[in-house]
Amino acid sequence: MLSLGPVIFGLILGLIIGSQIKLNVSDAKFTLGSFVVIFIAGIVAAWQLGNFPFYTDLPISTAFLSALIGIFVGKLLFARSK
Amino acid sequence: MSEGSMILKIISLPISIILICLGIMTILGGHITPGGGFQGGAMIASGIILSILVYGLGNSPLELSHAYIEVFESIGALGFIIFGLIGLFVGGFYLYNVGTDLLNVVPTAIQTAFHYPDVTNAGIIPYLNIFVGLKVFVGLSSIVIAFAGFKKFVEEGE
Repeated sequence: MLSLGPVIFGLILGLIIGSQIKLNVSDAKFTLGSFVVIFIAGIVAAWQLGNFPFYTDLPISTAFLSALIGIFVGKLLFARSK
Repeated sequence: MSEGSMILKIISLPISIILICLGIMTILGGHITPGGGFQGGAMIASGIILSILVYGLGNSPLELSHAYIEVFESIGALGFIIFGLIGLFVGGFYLYNVGTDLLNVVPTAIQTAFHYPDVTNAGIIPYLNIFVGLKVFVGLSSIVIAFAGFKKFVEEGE
């Protein structure tokens, strides 16, 4: 059974931090493709981390993955330009 | 300060995002693994700091506003105090773990409400980790933002 604690609170903390990402201020141009690459790298990192924090539900770090999704959703929903 | 090379500017935001995810993971595993609120919060702050150092203050994609820092510093401190007071009034001791309730003095409804939803019987400990993590993350980030601001202020004055 999937442990809901790390999924829910990972999403919430990711939303909180992702709401502060503002891309229109940086010199480096980040496009949608850049974020797809970051997401794939994050999935690989979560897979390599294993079932941290030691729940035996999934062979992937659910807290890491939900935080990554939360950051992207928070950036899309709440991030405002400066 | 914002004279970093293009390679640094391209790679630091992805590394910051991965660092922040690792920090959140450390916070959420704090009750059964090494780490916890302070360590995870420091890891999240390191992501913010990396971004500010490479892009410079005012030009960083990951920069916290004054109101944001105020709100989450207060939520971190108030959350810890509120959970402590709930333990005091319901269980009789400050920071009594009402989610686990080792002394069997807490009504079942309150115990269920404060029980962290996972396979362990951690009670309120993960919530306290989250509050400490929020407080440390904004606290350490605000120190570096302040130092970067002072440096920018001095450079502009010269």
